[in-house]
Amino acid sequence: MLKLLFYLIKNGCLTQRKICPSLDEPALGLPRLVPGKNWTEQAARRCAEACPTQAITAGDRGGESPSASPALTLDLGKCIGCMLCLKVCPSGFIVADRSTRTATTRREDLVLSPRSLPGPQEALPQKEAAGGLFGKSISVRVVSTGCSACDLEVAAAFNPIFDAERFGIHLTASPRMADVLLVTGPAGRGMHEPLKRAYEAMPEPRIVIAAGTCAISGGVHAGNYSQADGVGAVLPVDIFIPGCPPHPWSIIHGIMEAMRLPLDRARPGSSLNAP
Amino acid sequence: MRLACQTIGSEELTSTLKPLTATDSHRLGLLTSLDGRQLVALVLDLKGRTAGLVRCELDQCHYSSLTPLIPQAHWFERALKDLFGITPAGHPRLKSNFVPEAFEATLAPLRSAGDRGKLAGEPPRDFRFLRVGGEGVYEVPVGPIHAGVIEPAHFRLSCLGEFICNLELRLGFLHRGVERRLTEVSWPNARFVAEAASSDTAAGNALAHAIAMESLLEVEVSPRARHLRTLALEVERIAMHIADIGGLGVDLGFLGVAAGLSRLRGAAVGLADLLSGSRFMRGYICPGGVTLAEGGRLSQLRAQAQKLRRDVRGFVQMFLDNASVQERLTDTGKVSRGLARDFGLVGVAARASGIAYDARQHFLHGDYPPLAPAPAVERGGDALDRTRVRARELETSFSILEAVLDEEFAGECAVALPQALPANEAACGIVEAFRGELIHLIFTDARGRISRYAIKDPSFNNWTGMAIAARNNLIADFPVANKSFALSYSGHDL
Ligand code: SF4
Ligand code: SF4
Repeated sequence: MLKLLFYLIKNGCLTQRKICPSLDEPALGLPRLVPGKNWTEQAARRCAEACPTQAITAGDRGGESPSASPALTLDLGKCIGCMLCLKVCPSGFIVADRSTRTATTRREDLVLSPRSLPGPQEALPQKEAAGGLFGKSISVRVVSTGCSACDLEVAAAFNPIFDAERFGIHLTASPRMADVLLVTGPAGRGMHEPLKRAYEAMPEPRIVIAAGTCAISGGVHAGNYSQADGVGAVLPVDIFIPGCPPHPWSIIHGIMEAMRLPLDRARPGSSLNAP
Repeated sequence: MRLACQTIGSEELTSTLKPLTATDSHRLGLLTSLDGRQLVALVLDLKGRTAGLVRCELDQCHYSSLTPLIPQAHWFERALKDLFGITPAGHPRLKSNFVPEAFEATLAPLRSAGDRGKLAGEPPRDFRFLRVGGEGVYEVPVGPIHAGVIEPAHFRLSCLGEFICNLELRLGFLHRGVERRLTEVSWPNARFVAEAASSDTAAGNALAHAIAMESLLEVEVSPRARHLRTLALEVERIAMHIADIGGLGVDLGFLGVAAGLSRLRGAAVGLADLLSGSRFMRGYICPGGVTLAEGGRLSQLRAQAQKLRRDVRGFVQMFLDNASVQERLTDTGKVSRGLARDFGLVGVAARASGIAYDARQHFLHGDYPPLAPAPAVERGGDALDRTRVRARELETSFSILEAVLDEEFAGECAVALPQALPANEAACGIVEAFRGELIHLIFTDARGRISRYAIKDPSFNNWTGMAIAARNNLIADFPVANKSFALSYSGHDL
């Protein structure tokens, strides 16, 4: 025991002070589109072809004015962060975004186009979180349906380095005590029923977070016979955290977004009987 | 490595495979099928450091089970029934490896596209639990959703008083159809799917995939790529062994050490990040080499690894020296050497039971076998010995890191690959991942596309070990025994 104490005293506090900082190189992060660039159809097509998960679609402008439909869209909800698009993009309009504030409350916000603005780069957590329904504290039940890297990152968010507990985020063993169901993985057929039961066991209002590309869209598994097409096919999802797997800070960011949700967004009384 | 194939008749199956798997120098690596019309066995020759295929055509949907004579085939034959609809007649404990809901009971997802749905009059998958009878026996169901942040599975414990008589495993909740998806994507993209089989073993999976692909494409990677791959594999082992010992600390209630180890795991993951740009080394190892140059970060890596080594040593020692830890782990979740051998356990679990098998000594991957350490073998086969094996492997992994960092990093990160895969070939990649022997086996068809991709995660062998280990343990020790195996659910369920 004494040895442990000495070690802790010698090494001091390792908990990161800065909340949801951007990552340092060589971390890859997620791709982002440089705003306002004029994509040629050829460049867009090349990026789209490179993407292993069809996250990029080259829009067909069909002779209309460039403002009609975006030349290209990049869906972070399908992106596994392989950065192949960045390597092949001939015009350099795709760059690495190392921000960890990647969670969104609307699925469509994950679909980037050359016209979309960069996500929030400024500090928002903690104090602002206090405004929401679960602003002071929130209990999270994690359900894993994926490949365990996402789970390890969720677990890491609670280690002494990231220490999610200091923001009032608690892990709970029972869905009965949970405000949030945080689901990782693509939720194949085998997990549909357990997920529904866990959700039904939660008190209202309740929030569902889809953490990781698989949970949002099925990722590399989408369209399989196992119907592993993401949590959205089974439960109503409120918060989306992209990344394969998402960084622990991104997971904390997602949970903080849940804390900020106003009452009407937290789906009081929403039931599975009418999805 | 490329694989030669020996074709035999179905009546010779047992007589051919039995002598090949009954010795300490051979193992049954995989037993599966390509499209449901044949059996294919991958036999590993540990002494000769090679592997070969034994193939037998089936004209019906059943054959006589190998398990009674070759227990290593036990779990594979269940999977044959589930995924191909082939019935191993006379299998002593035939039941589904997957929950009923994972896919329709009448579907055989890996059969050839034409006859997937209809199972030619064969009985559908069977899910019955083994019931333990007798007065006072009661059942404790656990899962699929567990209390912690871990993967789902259902355990049914039949208990008498405080003791577990039998553990029934129900896996398959995470079945995503990885193996079939791997035959649907274009081969350059297959690596992303192969990694997602179980991303806590991303480096291991990617390496097994890359080795199999490189043998098909007949490319050889540069020494630099070889060294970087070795670093990746060992960093993964370090990070996960720390996590697994720490996890055991949580289950034992030794929270100080558990918290310490969880922050050290953070440091180990930092090494991975430094090496590859991804905390799980996703997308790092690719056929042909690695995707990111080390760019002068190796000295930083060395310094951080040295500090980490000292800290880890201190914490692990604190853990193993603790009297209550020893008391709790000794004789918990025991697997005898004989059973471990018969059922073909691999990795940490096998070595803890006295089996000196470490794939790094036998098969080409990264800088192995030349740099392979002696297997860390213990005798007792209990949770304490599994922890000791992990502790010793942490030390050797750090030594390997240093040895590799002393090498010269010559050559390019990745060599260019040919455009097309060869037709009608088979190759496999065998890697000692942190849980044990991991095999990726790839077959191509006449048009040079991947026609069958089989993955054998170490957990596939070791879940049997877990079921054996639980018997006659206190029910309160079940989580400890389970954690000491630290098996993958997604790697098994695929
Ligand atoms: S980084 Fe994302 S969008 Fe780009 S190619 Fe990879 S998966 Fe596709
Ligand atoms: S998002 Fe990536 S890390 Fe998470 S479960 Fe899916 S494949 Fe695994």
